[in-house]
Amino acid sequence: MNGPGIAWYLALAAFLFATGMLGVLLRRSPLIVLLSLELMLNGANLALIAFARQAGNLDGQIFALAVMAVAAAEVVVGLGLIVAMARKKLTLDVDKLSFLRG
Amino acid sequence: MTLSGWITLFAPLVGAVLITLGGSRIGRRTAGYIATASTMIAFVAAVVAFVIALGKSPDSRSQLSTAYTWIQAGSYQSGFSILIDQLSLLMMLIVTGVGSLIIAYSLGYMEGEDEERRYFAYMALFVFSMLLLVEGGNLILLLAGWGMVGLSSYLLIGFYHRRASAVAAAKKAFVMNAVGDATMAIAFFLLIKYTGSLSFSVLGQPAGNHWVLNVVALGLLGGAVAKSAQLPLQTWLPDAMEGPTPVSALIHAATMVTAGVYLIVRCNAAFEAAPHVQNLAAVLGALTLLMAGLIALVQVDIKRVIAYSTMSQIGYMFLGAGIGAYADAIFHLMMHAFFKATLFLAAGILIHALSGEQDIRKMGGLRKLMPFTFLAFLAGGLALAGIPPFSGFFSKDPIIASALARGGWFGDMLWVAGLAGALLTGIYTFRLIFRVFLGEPSAFVREHLHTEHGEGPISMRWTVAVLAVLATVAGFIQFPPFWEPVSNWLEPVAPPLVTPTNAQEIGTLLIGVTLGALGILIAWLIYGSHRFKAPKPSEILEEKFFFDELYDAAFYRPAVWLAKTLRRGFEEPVIDGSIAEVVVGTRDAARWTARLQTGLLRTYVFAIAASLAVLLVVFVAVR
Repeated sequence: MNGPGIAWYLALAAFLFATGMLGVLLRRSPLIVLLSLELMLNGANLALIAFARQAGNLDGQIFALAVMAVAAAEVVVGLGLIVAMARKKLTLDVDKLSFLRG
Repeated sequence: MTLSGWITLFAPLVGAVLITLGGSRIGRRTAGYIATASTMIAFVAAVVAFVIALGKSPDSRSQLSTAYTWIQAGSYQSGFSILIDQLSLLMMLIVTGVGSLIIAYSLGYMEGEDEERRYFAYMALFVFSMLLLVEGGNLILLLAGWGMVGLSSYLLIGFYHRRASAVAAAKKAFVMNAVGDATMAIAFFLLIKYTGSLSFSVLGQPAGNHWVLNVVALGLLGGAVAKSAQLPLQTWLPDAMEGPTPVSALIHAATMVTAGVYLIVRCNAAFEAAPHVQNLAAVLGALTLLMAGLIALVQVDIKRVIAYSTMSQIGYMFLGAGIGAYADAIFHLMMHAFFKATLFLAAGILIHALSGEQDIRKMGGLRKLMPFTFLAFLAGGLALAGIPPFSGFFSKDPIIASALARGGWFGDMLWVAGLAGALLTGIYTFRLIFRVFLGEPSAFVREHLHTEHGEGPISMRWTVAVLAVLATVAGFIQFPPFWEPVSNWLEPVAPPLVTPTNAQEIGTLLIGVTLGALGILIAWLIYGSHRFKAPKPSEILEEKFFFDELYDAAFYRPAVWLAKTLRRGFEEPVIDGSIAEVVVGTRDAARWTARLQTGLLRTYVFAIAASLAVLLVVFVAVR
């Protein structure tokens, strides 16, 4: 097996995931939250591919492809929602978007 | 013979079902005709069965016909079967014969009444119930008929359901009868437990187990007492006068109250196995006949006087059945059916002509205005008082004579009670007749009597005429000690325990007739010729010995008190309270849970991330 060991990949994946999570937790703009979510997904994807390479089969890679497809769909829906909110002139702040509270 | 029995049983039911299904599609008259025709068919079938049975030898007259196995549970089995024997044949003839006459009479009496169709459906159902009771081939079918008689009587007593008193009377009759149904059910449970069957052959078993035998007999007696309105469950009968007059006639003459006597005779083995209970039946009969006779002296409602006379006459039958003179009791039952139906139906004509008035104080002088009714009523009254040659004369005195033949202080006491009852019967019957028919027409009668159509429609007159003739001559069927076909006929079913000697028979006959005539004389002196002033009626008689008040205080008020106490002490604090607590608790829990939902996205994400981290730590640590 060539290249760096799996630990490096996992470290990078964990870093990406943690960065994304911090973004989701701390930022208020829905656009940034969506971007951070993508980061988290990609962190997870990296881990999946790293494990697939380690194990020498394609399961993880296919899983990663499926995650990408879901992520693409999610971005479409999420961006659509954000555009709709902008059109209605709502403040783009997730802390203020709490109408669904019971 | 059994085929006729089945036809007899089901013809009235078919009639009732037809009227019910027909609903408003059939006319009011048609409903009446269907009910009359169905019971007449039943009567004809019963006559056919009787004639066939006459042609057979006495041993082969009893036939059990089973349609199918009705109930099967473990080793217990009951068929849907009818028993046709000497006793049930006689009862079938009375029930269908007198019953169909009464229903035919109703054609005229109920004319123009609202809900005529319902009335006739109930009447046919009533006859069917009674037939099921007397034809039932085992005790469970008998109980089924027993319960249905209670139901039908409830429906008919409460026929005028817009009148509160009628509804109350119906409820009272039902509850009183339910007491008897319950004691009978207990007796049947014991029979199933100890003998494993409910066919008539297990009566009198288990031999030797006195406790069970006594309780079974007591349970049966309880049922008989309730249905036949004897002490101490008699209070429903006078109130049952709230129903239409033909219903009273049906209850008193053909169905219902005679069921108790039938039960004792049918189950004579059970009673003979428990002699103390049988004696109790005789004592209850004697007490009832005296008490009812005394109360009848002061009642002012024409139907109530007749009702108390029924109670009194059924008392005679209980007395007879209690000392083992079964055939005499059944014979008196037959004769009573004739003359009591005559009295009630004649009273119905009166009430009809007087626009529903039943108070005898407002009547008087009706003899010339309604001669036919007077004659019919007189025939019934003379039969009731036991004056020869009317039917009561032949049937009542043999029962009293049997009491003498029973012997001992016990028999002598019953004998005296029976004779005292004969005197009372003469007085109260002719108090009624003299008051209603003799003298000058009262102001009320002159104002309200309407006889422009003669004395009621033709259907009311011919039925009363037939019954009056029967009340006059039917007694000649049996004249102990000279000829006794009824006793001989019933001998295989219920062999008598006592047979009076000729001297006892004739002596009692003479004394009985004398006392009856003396009663009439007393009634004449007071109410006919007004030689003596009527004594002031005592309160205890007017209030019917305070039985209603007693039961009110003993059962009704404690029950109401208990219910109120439980409501205040248990339901309101415990049940209502706990439900309120549950409601408040749920609402509080929901309020607390709702606080977790902040609506802030970051809170949710943090919760997910934190729980994920905790899971991770736990996962690693446990590993």
